[in-house]
Amino acid sequence: MDSRPGDETLLLAVAGRDMGAFRTLYERHAGWLAIRLARRCNDRDLVADAVQDTFIAVWQRPQGFRGDGDVAAWLWGIAIRRLVSRMRTRGSVAAVFEKGGAAPAAEDQVLLSVEYGDIGQALARLSPEMRAVIQAVVLDGLTAREAAQLLHVPVSSVKTRLYRAKARLRAVLAEGSS
Amino acid sequence: MTGWHLDDGTLRRYVGRTDSLAEGTSVEQHLLSCEQCRARVNPAVDVIDLAAVWARTRDAVEVPRPSVFERLLRVAGLPAHEARLVAVASAFRGVWLVGVAAVLAFAALAAAVGHARGLWFFLAVAPLAPCLVVAFSYDRRMDPALEPEMVTPYPALRLILLRTIAVLALALPAVLLLGLVVPGDAPFAWLLPAIGFVAVVLAASTWVSPLNAAMAVSAAWLTTVWLVATRSASPAAVLQARIQVAFLVLAAASFGIFLARRRHLRQLRPWR
Amino acid sequence: MTASISLRGVGRTFGATRALADVDLDLEPGVIGLLGPNGAGKTTLLRLLATALPPSQGQVRVLGRDPEAPAERTDIRRRLGYLPQEVGFPRGFTAFAFVDYIALLKEWTQPAARHAEVRRVLDQVGLSNLVTKRIRAMSGGQRRRVALAQALLGSPPVLILDEPTSGVDPEQRVTLRTVLAEIARTSIVVLSTHQTDDVAALCERVIVLDQGRVRYDGQVTELVRQAAGRVWLADQPDPAATVSWRTGTGRYRNVAAHARDGVEHVEPSLEDAYLLLRRGSPENDPAKEVAS
Repeated sequence: MDSRPGDETLLLAVAGRDMGAFRTLYERHAGWLAIRLARRCNDRDLVADAVQDTFIAVWQRPQGFRGDGDVAAWLWGIAIRRLVSRMRTRGSVAAVFEKGGAAPAAEDQVLLSVEYGDIGQALARLSPEMRAVIQAVVLDGLTAREAAQLLHVPVSSVKTRLYRAKARLRAVLAEGSS
Repeated sequence: MTGWHLDDGTLRRYVGRTDSLAEGTSVEQHLLSCEQCRARVNPAVDVIDLAAVWARTRDAVEVPRPSVFERLLRVAGLPAHEARLVAVASAFRGVWLVGVAAVLAFAALAAAVGHARGLWFFLAVAPLAPCLVVAFSYDRRMDPALEPEMVTPYPALRLILLRTIAVLALALPAVLLLGLVVPGDAPFAWLLPAIGFVAVVLAASTWVSPLNAAMAVSAAWLTTVWLVATRSASPAAVLQARIQVAFLVLAAASFGIFLARRRHLRQLRPWR
Repeated sequence: MTASISLRGVGRTFGATRALADVDLDLEPGVIGLLGPNGAGKTTLLRLLATALPPSQGQVRVLGRDPEAPAERTDIRRRLGYLPQEVGFPRGFTAFAFVDYIALLKEWTQPAARHAEVRRVLDQVGLSNLVTKRIRAMSGGQRRRVALAQALLGSPPVLILDEPTSGVDPEQRVTLRTVLAEIARTSIVVLSTHQTDDVAALCERVIVLDQGRVRYDGQVTELVRQAAGRVWLADQPDPAATVSWRTGTGRYRNVAAHARDGVEHVEPSLEDAYLLLRRGSPENDPAKEVAS
């Protein structure tokens, strides 16, 4: 950790127009961002464009990072919004979780219950459409409109599914604890 | 972040998208704060061509963006590299164009208001605008990269002519439009003098700096107009066919000199 | 097409001032250093070589071509890189934009190839991290390197550099020396400088100009040998010396036109030999004009 500059140092250098720092930032983050985006969108070209847009946005406003939290989280915030923006113009279908999810291995189950408790299993019992909405709104922090653009459904559908998903989750959790 | 890291199986399932939403979310949450695991994810990326996206990103950031004028030139038919060369001239930095436009607008306004003096003022200023803009577009003081440019193979004549034409394509219609506001018989009386002055500046630029030439031309013309204006009441004096033909001859002769002396465009004239 | 430059009886006057007189030179691939005081005519000579100025007398042939003939001049310019003493940069230009602009003038019409070449030369001068920085925001040494980069476009067979290392810090100078040495394997590199250690490190051949005339033209080692036995250290400046100065150790370095015995001799450097050449030689012809 000593000689390698941290992400925040790199951002400072990018503000000073350092291409080397910019490239390092790209090499550190473009990969996982692409994978995470691809899990929300089937269209590889859109994902590539979104990654490109993300880093151009970083170049143009590196000072947008306020120093609170991880640089990675800030990057993801930019990336998901760039993806949504791209999808507004190209009607692509978002990836949704098809699988209900196989029963996790024993040790994973322990981890999951540490991270999410019963929610993990409750989520697995939701329909794919409901899970997609939960992921977009609750986990990725998108607004209802952004989620609608991402999932290519009307805003009203998003709200309905969210309402139903939350109701369902509450029911499943209540069921589980009893 | 030290301590807990993702095991290979989990990562593999995440990348291969065979995991569940909950597991995936857990992985994603972890990746946000663990650079070691992020580094493990990167080599497995095959969903996009990271190198190709980097090349496009780098181009978007490094390569200068074409200006409006450059894009216009491309639409007009100039090949991309020539459009860039022509557009990268100081006149298009906007400041000078604004200045010239302001003076012209003032003159047109004065003329439109109907004062005879206003019309004289317009006739005095309008023919000078194009040659001033041309002079700005390749004067040494405005074009500081002069010396390394000088010994490049791109034909100097072609470059200057293209720039002059591009500048005139902007300046002439602008003055034309303003001229229509001017009351009087011939809003185009200033056109041939304007072309004449551009040609004079081009020719003189093979001896002295274009800006100095344009200043000299301006001074001479303004003096002439003032002298004529104090003698006769009507600007119609300028409209006489004789005068117009004289300007045409001036333009042709100057342009001929310019072409004949074009080798001097790419040679220094230092004092020491 | 030959790979050389030749000058025969070349002179250049500006009004009443004679900046160059009777210059005869033959230059082959390698690094040739041009030394001389201010006003010696170095810049004028370089401008002549770069086809930016015509001579008043004599003949110049660059790569076998005559710069006076327009078509041949363009041919030369296609194979020439020139770094003038002073380069101004247009406002708002980044390093990339500027070098890209010159590349356009050097007829690199294809954008992909041109951009790759721009990056290559900026990398050669050690500026690859700063390509998007505005030149006006750069240090003097960095600007000098941008200016050098445009001269390197296309790896030209003839490279004319007027004070390429001025304002450049020592670390970067070493980088530049490496770059120039690499290019000199197949190209003619003529560089003028005030720094004798640049010449000593880079050049096999050195030309010393003074008042528009060539005072020395030959190997660096030969020139240095001329000062053998004529340089010594002492605790006080020696009145018999042609030149003496205080060194960092507190002792005085003395250089004289005639060899001396019984003193603490040291190995002569190029600087010593150059000083000797400048101070030691008498004026040839008082009737000739002094260059401005």
